[in-house]
Amino acid sequence: MANTIDPRTAWEPYSPSPKNPWDLRKVGHVYRRAAFGASWAELETGLERGPRRLIDQLLQGGQPSPIYDAETEKFLTGAARKFNVGAQASAWWLYRMLHGPHPLKEKFTLFWHNHFATSDAKVNNAGYMVGQYELMHRHALGNFGELLQEMSKDPAMMVWLDTVQSKKGQPNENYARELMELFSLGIGNYTEKDIREAARAFTGWEIKNGKYFNNTGQFDATEKTVLGKTGNWKGEDIVRICLDQPACSRFIVRKLYRFLISESDAPSAELVDPLAKQFANGYDFGKLVETMLRSNLFFSEYAYRARIKSPVDYVLGMARAIEAHMGTQSNTVNLTTALENLGQNVFHPPSVKGWDGGQTWLNGQTLLFRQNFALDMARRPAGYKLPSTAFALARAHGKNDDQELAAFFLDLFLQGDVPEETKKRVHDYAKTARDQKLPAYWTKQDIAEHRVISLCHLVMTLPEYQLD
Amino acid sequence: MTTRREFLKVSSLVGLGATVPTFLARTAFAAPDASRPGAKDTILVVVQLTGGNDGLNTVIPFKDELYAKYRPTIKIPTDQLKKINDSIGLHPSLDGLAGLLEDKALCVVQGVGYPNPSQSHFRSMDIWQAASTAETLTEGWVGRALKSMNVPAFHVANNNESAPLALNGSPARVPSITSLADFQLKLADKAGKDVIESAAKTAGKPGLLDFVQKTALNTYASSQKLQEIGKNYEPKSPYPGTGLANRLKLCAQLIDAGLGARVFYVSIDNFDTHASQGGAQGTHANLLAELSGAITAFYKDLAARGHKDRLLVMTFSEFGRRAKENGSKGTDHGSGAPMFLVGGKVKPGAVGDHPSLAKLVDGNLEFGTDFRQVYAAILETWLGVSSKDVLGGAYKPVEVFA
Repeated sequence: MANTIDPRTAWEPYSPSPKNPWDLRKVGHVYRRAAFGASWAELETGLERGPRRLIDQLLQGGQPSPIYDAETEKFLTGAARKFNVGAQASAWWLYRMLHGPHPLKEKFTLFWHNHFATSDAKVNNAGYMVGQYELMHRHALGNFGELLQEMSKDPAMMVWLDTVQSKKGQPNENYARELMELFSLGIGNYTEKDIREAARAFTGWEIKNGKYFNNTGQFDATEKTVLGKTGNWKGEDIVRICLDQPACSRFIVRKLYRFLISESDAPSAELVDPLAKQFANGYDFGKLVETMLRSNLFFSEYAYRARIKSPVDYVLGMARAIEAHMGTQSNTVNLTTALENLGQNVFHPPSVKGWDGGQTWLNGQTLLFRQNFALDMARRPAGYKLPSTAFALARAHGKNDDQELAAFFLDLFLQGDVPEETKKRVHDYAKTARDQKLPAYWTKQDIAEHRVISLCHLVMTLPEYQLD
Repeated sequence: MTTRREFLKVSSLVGLGATVPTFLARTAFAAPDASRPGAKDTILVVVQLTGGNDGLNTVIPFKDELYAKYRPTIKIPTDQLKKINDSIGLHPSLDGLAGLLEDKALCVVQGVGYPNPSQSHFRSMDIWQAASTAETLTEGWVGRALKSMNVPAFHVANNNESAPLALNGSPARVPSITSLADFQLKLADKAGKDVIESAAKTAGKPGLLDFVQKTALNTYASSQKLQEIGKNYEPKSPYPGTGLANRLKLCAQLIDAGLGARVFYVSIDNFDTHASQGGAQGTHANLLAELSGAITAFYKDLAARGHKDRLLVMTFSEFGRRAKENGSKGTDHGSGAPMFLVGGKVKPGAVGDHPSLAKLVDGNLEFGTDFRQVYAAILETWLGVSSKDVLGGAYKPVEVFA
């Protein structure tokens, strides 16, 4: 399909046409990529609004969900900071993603978390991790140059990549290397010598009272040659020199492309270069995001379902669609446990490279964890003394009839976009499930719930549901 | 416990009908029989040390004066070493492995690496896993070997760990598994199983959906098969309570269940010791203790079950570390480093020379043996696979087998 992309029109804004109409599939697509999935109500209003107004709305953010409660949020972050509980910090962020006022901003904060992947496993300071989150959140749609400068002085980062250990005459290369390899340029765009020289510029960077502190006595104030530039560089100069490299904007554009458009193929230079050129001029990341989100390419078949859902997208997308009541802190902590099993424990990326994503998300074990988690989600009570989540959902939307239910679940989770054969199987199952023998002691309510849960789970296990 | 023959009879995989991946179907006929002399049923267990293991504090050239000079705060005192010969010794945490020397079950390949080594964790790890330095790497050396072996393999994973590149390219997706209890599909209604399995049948059009379907199909089939294995495994030798030991114990259980699987892949993380790595005690010492304790227990368990001569454990890391310690009492990224091979058929003792401490390249130890020469030996002699096909070129096998 790659040859069907016309680089001249790929980044122009999409407007619906008879050949490529605005439909429920596209609303689902926007909500998956630019947020954490949609509820049924969001799908319906999104369809009404059209692509331009829907993306306006997501870029602006707005009201938190009805479940959102500022006190809960305060409690979670407070506990994380005060008692250094990493799990509380993760729960807090997931809570913001699920119920906060600006899912799109949370989504791009997550993008930066994967880019500047820092793990509390080594930092061991939930307060620092929350602080790093705040930095990324502040710049999530802002200026990349500023983010990179401030990230170099972020306490969590300084512990994570040993900047705090780096002293005059004894530089530690860890930060200098990852700054070039993973944060700004990409492999092949610097030499080992550049790293060793650059490391000397970050000497004397320490943490004092929880903040960056420049210990000039430990700074190596001699000449360094980095990426062809010679001078008595400080750390800030090294970051600036990296930002001035043409490789830098291309590197970030490619990474965002993978995040927003497709992780199946790497984009051609023809596609990347115009955006990289625009981005290099001022490093306005929000503008870059907006260009990609509104583009013809974003709304083409080439981008549709061209990613594997990350565990966060999978779990939160399901929670939003199924209208799971995740309003209490203990429920949100449960989500962090599930995400750990699925391989994406926020604030705990596996390495400084972040999560590899794509096909590596799914293997035998994680697929089973996903399918089993879906069952758990459908089954768990919608609240205190309430029926199961799947049943409560069906009732809230007035779906009782088996065939109506099957169609509703297919539309809600997959916007009805599965092969006719699959649809038929699901509908047939709904029909036959009625006649099966169930234990004699089950109440009418038990039977009704069992029917809804089974059907709901079945739709969530369809392979298309793993695609983003 | 169910014997293999009974197991094959009961697990006819009828539920999956024609959708059973060929490799599983074939296994049902070709399960190797350990009791048959001459059977080619050797097993390879790859243990990946993630982060760059400090080789110079793993196998220590105690005779060389430069060693202590390069490492003033993290050197290992000579009197604490487990000596292999009169010039090198193992880190004291490796006492378990050192003990295997008496059993003639440990081989140390010294100074392993490759030309123009990358000091990026990720690039170098990819190179080791793919056994190639091509720009784009999509297949692993183990995955390619599995193409001609056509036997089941398992990635025994830590929770937060994705499947390694090394296993890519295998004809059937190698399942990752964390525990037998977790490796099963739960359904509200068993009658839904047909729908789920039918949906996993691929239309054959390459792409992500096809990938998901293949993974699903293979997983459902493997999961059904593994549920037949007894849940209670009683090791013949105690395992330490560490993560790596748990993973190797699950490997032992899968080996003992006689599923015909011949390749296993596990890893242990956190070898990236840039700061405060310690010497005879400390961070690095603890990692080596976990490694040694787990492998030793695994070897003893399998040896007691009669699998000693079928077993080969191979350790590797993406690189060694800088010869001189840094200012943070740690070590930065380096290059050449040793590999361990454990099993009943290895050539005991050290193979190859320890890299010279006097002739460093950019401060790093130079390699003497290309890692692909070690792979070649394993592929040709141990797995019976043409190394030329897998490695994309001829590498002279190192003599690592007795």
